[in-house]
Amino acid sequence: MKQGPEVQHLDMALRSSTLVAGGFMGYDPRSVTEVIDTDAGELFRLGVTDKELAARMKEITQKAADAQGTWVEIDPDHEAQVDETRGATACPWRHRGRYFKRVTTVRRKNSDETIRWSDLNTHMVDAHGFLEGKGSMFRIEPAPFVRMLF
Amino acid sequence: MGETFISVLIVSSIGAGLAALLVISEMFIANYGACRISINDERDLTVQGGTSLLSVLTAEKIFIPSACGGRGTCGLCKLKVLEGAGAILPTEEPYLDKREREQNVRLSCQVKVKNNLRINIPKELLSIREYVTRCVKIEDLTYDIKMFRLQLVKPATMEYTPGQYVQLLTPVYDRSPVEVYRAYSIASDPADKGIIELIIRLVPNGICTTYCFNHLKEGDEVKINGPYGEFRLSDTGAPIVFIAGGSGMAPIKCILHHMENTGSKREAVYYFGANVVKEMFYLDLMRRFESELQAFRFVSVVAKPAEGETWDGETGLVTQAVQRGVKNGAICEAYLCGSPGMIDASIKVLQDLGVTNDRIFYDKFA
Repeated sequence: MKQGPEVQHLDMALRSSTLVAGGFMGYDPRSVTEVIDTDAGELFRLGVTDKELAARMKEITQKAADAQGTWVEIDPDHEAQVDETRGATACPWRHRGRYFKRVTTVRRKNSDETIRWSDLNTHMVDAHGFLEGKGSMFRIEPAPFVRMLF
Repeated sequence: MGETFISVLIVSSIGAGLAALLVISEMFIANYGACRISINDERDLTVQGGTSLLSVLTAEKIFIPSACGGRGTCGLCKLKVLEGAGAILPTEEPYLDKREREQNVRLSCQVKVKNNLRINIPKELLSIREYVTRCVKIEDLTYDIKMFRLQLVKPATMEYTPGQYVQLLTPVYDRSPVEVYRAYSIASDPADKGIIELIIRLVPNGICTTYCFNHLKEGDEVKINGPYGEFRLSDTGAPIVFIAGGSGMAPIKCILHHMENTGSKREAVYYFGANVVKEMFYLDLMRRFESELQAFRFVSVVAKPAEGETWDGETGLVTQAVQRGVKNGAICEAYLCGSPGMIDASIKVLQDLGVTNDRIFYDKFA
C-alpha cells in the first residue's frame, strides 16, 4: 500500500535512533500504518480499545509512582513498580509535549511474567494507537498486556 | 521497438531534467547563505544558515547547556534572541513563560538560523569549554550503574564548582546516527586535578548510556564540555540535609569530597535510598567521610531487602527516613538530586518538617 510523504517521513523517524537507541520499530518490516491497523484489530478482538488500554496503563503508573520505586499491589495477582531516570523525551509524531523517562513494570506474583511500558508508550497508545513494532524494546504486545492489566 | 526506445528516452530525459531542476532550486531555496550572528553587541559570527542556533553555536565552540541533545525536550538551551528569530514555534511554547516571551527568550535548539540574528549569551556560558579526555577507568558500582573516570587531556584541567555538571558527547554508533550530548553531574574529588568522574546509570533504550555501557572502553577518547549548572553548596553554614539515590549521588559525592578537602565542620546528613541492598554502593567511602568529617552522618535506607539479602540499616522509603530523622528542619538547607518523583516527594516531606522553599535546592535534570 502506498504511503503519503508524511507517513513515509514518520516511518523513517520511527525507525531511526534519533530519539531512542534502536528506534521504535524493532525488526518489524511493516509500515507504521500496518502496525497500527493490525494492533487495533487485535485489541478489538480482545475487547479493549487503545484509549482504554492507555487509561489503564496511566492509572497503574500513577498508583505505583507514589511508592518511589518500590513494588505496590495493583490487584491480588499483580504488582507494579515505577522506575525513573533523569530526562524527558519527545514524541516521534513531533508535536508539543515531553514525556519523562519513567518505566512502569507490572509482574504477576509468584511468576517471572512481566510487562513494562514508558510514559511515552502510554502517550503513543492513547494519542496515536501505536504500540511499537515487533522486536522493539518497548513493544506493547496486545494479548499479554490485556491479560495482565484487565 | 523504435517507438518504445524513443518513449523510454523521452521519459528518462524528463526525469533527468526534473532532477536537475530540483538540484538547482535547492541551491537557492534551501540555501540561506551566510548569516551574521551578533553576540551581546560585542562580537559577530558569520555562519552558514540552515541549521539550529544551538548547533551553529556549538560548531563555533560556544556551548549552550542542553540535556536532550537539541531535541527540544529539556528546555535548558534558552537564550535571548533580540532580532531575527521569527515567531515562537509550537515546540518552544511549553518551555517559555510570559516573562520569558516578553524578554525574547527562545529555545536555541528550535530557532533556525535563516537570516541575521542578534542574541545575548550570559557571560558565564561564554567561558564554557570543550575538553578532550581519555577514559582511564570503568568500574561497576551496581548491576546498572557504572563509574567512568576521565583523564583530561586538552585542556588538562577544568575549574568547576562541586555540584556542577558536564555534557558528554556520544559519537555516532550503530544505535545512534547522530552525535548527541547528555548531561552528567561531576562526581570526582575536586582535589584530583585533571580527573572528571561520572556516575552513569543505564537507561533502557538510552542513546548515551547504551553507548557508555556497551561500547566505551578504557583508553577511548571522550569529549565533554562544561562545566554547567547552579547546583552548589551555599556558604551560609546552615545544617545540611542531602537526599539522593542511585546516580543522583554524583554531585553529593563531589560536594562531600570538597567538604573533606576544606576541613568543613558544617553539620550534614546524607539520606541515600535504594530499593534493595544490591543497589547500594560507595558505602565504604561514605563511612570514610563519616570518620573524616567532624559533623557528617550517612543514613542508608533500603526500601525492602530482597529475599536472601541481609541488611541491618534503616528500611522503608528514603522520605520516611528523612521524616524520622530530621529534627531541625527550620534551620536546615536541603540538597536533593534524583528523579522528578523522588524530588517532588522529598520536597513535600521537607516542607512538612519546616524547611522553607528558599532553602531547598535540587538538580532535577528533567
